[in-house]
Amino acid sequence: MTALKLTGIGHAYLGRTVLDDIDLDVGRGEIVALVGPSGCGKSTLAHIAAGLTESRAGSLSGSYAQHAMIFQEPALMPWSTASGNIDYVLRLAGLKRTDRAARIAEVAAEVALQPDDLDKYPVELSGGMRQRVAIARALAVRPDFIYFDEPFAALDVALRRRMQNLVIETCADGRLSGLFITHDLSEAARIAHRIAVLDTHGRGILGDRRLDGTPGARSEGDLFDWVQHATRSDPIFRHIYDVDERQIA
Amino acid sequence: MTRIGRIGAFLWSGWAGLAALSLLFAAWQAGHEAYGPFILTSPLDTVWMVARLAVDPAAWDIAALTLQRAVTGFLLVAGAGITLGVAAGYSPAALRLVTPLVTVLMGVPPIAWIVLAMIWFGGSDATVRTVILVSALPEVFMGAARGITTRDRLLDRMAEAFGAGPVRRFLTIGLRQTTTTLFPALALALGTSFKVAVMAELLANAGGIGGALADARINLDIGLALAWVLIAVALLIVVEYTLVQPVKAEIDRWRHAAQPWGVKR
Repeated sequence: MTALKLTGIGHAYLGRTVLDDIDLDVGRGEIVALVGPSGCGKSTLAHIAAGLTESRAGSLSGSYAQHAMIFQEPALMPWSTASGNIDYVLRLAGLKRTDRAARIAEVAAEVALQPDDLDKYPVELSGGMRQRVAIARALAVRPDFIYFDEPFAALDVALRRRMQNLVIETCADGRLSGLFITHDLSEAARIAHRIAVLDTHGRGILGDRRLDGTPGARSEGDLFDWVQHATRSDPIFRHIYDVDERQIA
Repeated sequence: MTRIGRIGAFLWSGWAGLAALSLLFAAWQAGHEAYGPFILTSPLDTVWMVARLAVDPAAWDIAALTLQRAVTGFLLVAGAGITLGVAAGYSPAALRLVTPLVTVLMGVPPIAWIVLAMIWFGGSDATVRTVILVSALPEVFMGAARGITTRDRLLDRMAEAFGAGPVRRFLTIGLRQTTTTLFPALALALGTSFKVAVMAELLANAGGIGGALADARINLDIGLALAWVLIAVALLIVVEYTLVQPVKAEIDRWRHAAQPWGVKR
């Protein structure tokens, strides 16, 4: 059973082809990490899949009931408190006022936000806390599919680890599926069931690799060995750390 | 509770305003002592004159007429400016087309509009409102348009990702972000409304405070003229702090969230 199926997706930006002939599917309860060098069109693909950008070619079908998205920036409304930001998406989802308050308290507890943090404006919160609010906001609508658009790229190493653990814990019950965009292979290996690699120039998916075990149950040593092996001897990962600054994302 | 705190902080900041006013009155008094009462009436005498006008019902009618014209003119310009500005903000082509027109509009002196409006409408409310509209429209228009063009597009995408339609996104995300540039423009437009209202009344002989100023000039009554100026300024301040500032304070709460009490800024 697939939660998301992309077939032959293509996209062009100002006449330049950025994505071509992309086939990708995500199973129910599966987290697929999509990796590739910066500027290869990973984010664009996620935005197409989430319906934020119209693709030029191909078709996509999703069998999930409700999706949510976590962006690289927290994307919080600065004029609204943390609880106000979560409340906003609950209102969009059509929840009643009394249910909304209860749901906010529930997700805040899930991501370890204190009640007094909820009354703060984003300017009063640190970068990690803001991203925590963004995660709470995404979970609040009870999604069965989450798009992660390089959500932790702007955080420092320790914070990033905590956030990854948070994602692993919330996805552990198997009800959630997700597409996790990242350029960090070790992050992908920690979080995902399967890793797909996008071509440097967006010309198709080079291939995918399934990891043993479930996210969260793999040991640090195994992960390290897997990443070492993949970058040294697996041809599909050969170019994922290439950088071309002139290319625009 | 936080609202009471904010009101307290606001009232406390009034000391600075009081200090500035005291300096102004001191300079005024110095001018009075240097040039004599015929050129510059003393501040105290002017305040007495204001007090005398305050017990005269006819003076209240005059002030109310100007107030009515300035406020309706301001509401007109706010409505038109925000509508046009927001529309242009969303349409880059329209904005590019309109910007030179705004420059032209800003280059035409208000006095020229007064002459035209007098020919079109005579000495009526419409004359004053028309002049207010054309004088303050560019500011409000650019304020609203800039607010839309400089908005954070990521927030738009966020709202879209969580299922907000275009209208909902505009009302909850787009419009909210214009306030940063719109409120300074509105405050400026309100000031312009009062200045232009008095000027248009004076030149178009349309009554109101402008008309009263014209009479004071004919009688060379500097005390009365200064009293009316004081009243016009007082009206502007009252409207600013009952109409614009409360809304701005409510909308800008988050800006002050990171600046606690007692922190110098």
